[in-house]
Amino acid sequence: MTQLSDNKRGITVGLFLLIGLAIFLIGIFTLGGQKKTFVKSFTLNVVFDDIQGLKVGNNVWFSGVKIGTIKKLHFYGTSQVQVFLSVEEEAQKYIHKNAKASISSDGLIGSKIVVIDGGSPKFPFIEDGDRLMVNNTLSTDDIMKTLQVNNKNLVDITSDFRILARNLVDGKGTAGALLADQQVANNFKAIVENLKNTTAAADKMAQELSAFSKKLNTEDGLANKLLTDTMVFAKLQSSVDELQKTAASAAKLTANLNQASAKLNQTDNTAGLLLNDQPTAEQVKSIMKNLESSSKKLDEDLEALQHNFLLKGFFKKKAKAQQKE
Amino acid sequence: MLLELYRVHQFVMKFFKEFLFPPYEGKEIIRQCYQVGYRSLLLISLTGFITGIVFTKQSRPSLAEFGATSWLPSLVGIALLRTLAPLLTALISAGKVGSSIGAELGSMKVTEQIDAMEVSATNPFKFLVISRVIATTVTIPILTFYTALVGLIGGFVNVMFNENTSFIAYIQSFLDSITFLDITASTIKSIVFGFTIGMVGCYQGYNSSRGTEGVGKAANSAVVIGMFLVFVEEIVATQITFFFKT
Amino acid sequence: MTAQKSLPEIVISIRGVKKSFGDYEVLKGADLDLYERENLVVLGRSGTGKSVLIKIISGLLTQDSGTVNVLGKDVSKLGPKELLALRLNVGFSFQNSALYDSMTVRKNLEFPLVRNRKHLTKGEINYAVETVLDAVGLSQTIHQMPSELSGGQRKRIGIARTLILQPQIMLYDEPTAGLDPITCIEINSLINEVQERFHTSSIIITHDLTCAKETGDRIAMLLDGQFQKIGTFDEVFASDDERIKPFYDYNFIV
Repeated sequence: MTQLSDNKRGITVGLFLLIGLAIFLIGIFTLGGQKKTFVKSFTLNVVFDDIQGLKVGNNVWFSGVKIGTIKKLHFYGTSQVQVFLSVEEEAQKYIHKNAKASISSDGLIGSKIVVIDGGSPKFPFIEDGDRLMVNNTLSTDDIMKTLQVNNKNLVDITSDFRILARNLVDGKGTAGALLADQQVANNFKAIVENLKNTTAAADKMAQELSAFSKKLNTEDGLANKLLTDTMVFAKLQSSVDELQKTAASAAKLTANLNQASAKLNQTDNTAGLLLNDQPTAEQVKSIMKNLESSSKKLDEDLEALQHNFLLKGFFKKKAKAQQKE
Repeated sequence: MLLELYRVHQFVMKFFKEFLFPPYEGKEIIRQCYQVGYRSLLLISLTGFITGIVFTKQSRPSLAEFGATSWLPSLVGIALLRTLAPLLTALISAGKVGSSIGAELGSMKVTEQIDAMEVSATNPFKFLVISRVIATTVTIPILTFYTALVGLIGGFVNVMFNENTSFIAYIQSFLDSITFLDITASTIKSIVFGFTIGMVGCYQGYNSSRGTEGVGKAANSAVVIGMFLVFVEEIVATQITFFFKT
Repeated sequence: MTAQKSLPEIVISIRGVKKSFGDYEVLKGADLDLYERENLVVLGRSGTGKSVLIKIISGLLTQDSGTVNVLGKDVSKLGPKELLALRLNVGFSFQNSALYDSMTVRKNLEFPLVRNRKHLTKGEINYAVETVLDAVGLSQTIHQMPSELSGGQRKRIGIARTLILQPQIMLYDEPTAGLDPITCIEINSLINEVQERFHTSSIIITHDLTCAKETGDRIAMLLDGQFQKIGTFDEVFASDDERIKPFYDYNFIV
């Protein structure tokens, strides 16, 4: 009888240990599967100027699918960083030699990742040890910085234009003299050129921001889930929309201005002609107005962006930095 | 104090000396594993489950403030795996197992049962101490795995009712946030905890003073010293893990 | 009780043994011989080092100086393995029986056998268990736990457990302490039976004169850490030593 209970106890203990170990092993293998530890992999490398806090163990994405991890990081050349990627073999037949790598993040406050785009099919598939080219995309910080600079430029230009327009309107009597002045005409041309660049940049910025936010919306990641908090996202989305509209109208403006300046060019020495041309003067005036309102709008958008919860940290930091200076 | 440290040192040394040479008390080890491990399973599971629920519930408001309740699974997972499961299991075991080892060996010492073993040509150290220390060292990590699993389930239950998260998504985001280092660290940690609890219980019991008071003292100090050492080891382990992480 | 006064073979020989605990010297040069097949009673007041003496004999304690020879071997100079071998031949019955609380009577009795006579079959072990249980007259308790037994029963099981290894020498530490007079008588006769049946040589430690008188072939009086008087019961108490007389008077006052 005692023997039996001995055996029973042995079996119980055996089961207990077995199940416990099973939990442990299943945990290890699930994690291993998750981290692709036990999948055959090959190594790629890529040299970045700035890895933005990328760490060993961060993920490598290809078309939004996790295909590997960062294996090693070290300094390269003068101030660059070489990043070794461990990529699972299965992904090899989708990545072409001209594929480009960039650093992104899996959410605004998520961890950094390396994103590989597929390249074009006419190139052969990538091989073990290959070096990927770098696709320089702007980081969130950069987007914000450029956006602000852009906006400031726009405001400056608008005020320049206002002065010019006022002169144009007020100095009716001396308008001929004003426009005959080659210097002023040149200035005017330069301004238009500036405006064109700025608008283009704003447009690009808006697109990027839009792509960025779209990515946030669609891709599946932990921090993205955070962003699927619809309120925040809607806000962000609307900001981007506004920004896009602004950029569009700015582009329109530029086109108009271009026209105007072209005319100005043509009638370089016959400025009187331009001034006598009443519709043209009207056009310039309306352009001024549009430009003003649109730049105001851009300003508002930026303001809205600043109040966005997610980006609050960024602006706060910035304000602090400014205060320090 | 120094003398005590010397004695502890000798006791531990004796453990390793005796541990390395056969014979092994297989049956007694199984019996102790049964006592230490299986008998604690229910208590541990219950505690783990409740901890999982409560921890999740308590963490929600702070995460909700940032609209980040979707991070609950990883938060609960990390907390459970890195600290809560090993520490909780160790503390409960120190209370339940440590005291019973201390009391049992203490009373065996007091009633001369240990001497009786010795004179009947059995090595009592091997039979009593080695088997118990092996049992705690083996079963407490196992119990830790159970605690972690049950705690995760507890956390899931809470998350499921509040955020409607699916189990797959829950496990995914948990797995996303942990690393092998976490698993390795807490496994090693719980092995050390198990060894400590067994060793302290045995040392206190084996060296308890004569008389019934000695038994109580042995049981009491087995728990107090055991828990204290577990905390100290937790601090050291955390430091070492951070060292490896960076 | 058979008084066999002079048996030639000496199984235990103690010479000049000293032992102190801290500043307190318990044994101050004790000399004693145990002859084959005799019951030797060591009498003495509590705290005079009687238990210490038999613990030194069984190797549980080590003397500070002097020699203890058991079956021709110096106990303090034995290695762990030799000590184990010797212990199989020296049975020790503890004052509190020291039964293993977590085991049944059967497991308690099996314990020394299972661990030291690994070649034995299940049947042989069962036979040995039943034999010793029968010898102490407690066959019915085989499935009980020690906590369910009375003090006298525990004592007997303790003796049975010691006997199961068939030792040549039995050491009894206060076999009658804490027992009622009738149980004392039973234990006394058990000790004598054991000696007759298993041909053991025994040292019986006690401060109970009835026990000493019933079981002892010879009495050794331990006073001030030395054996002051060794001889038969009558010889010892015929002495008019001031330190021995009160012993006698107290025990037989009623």
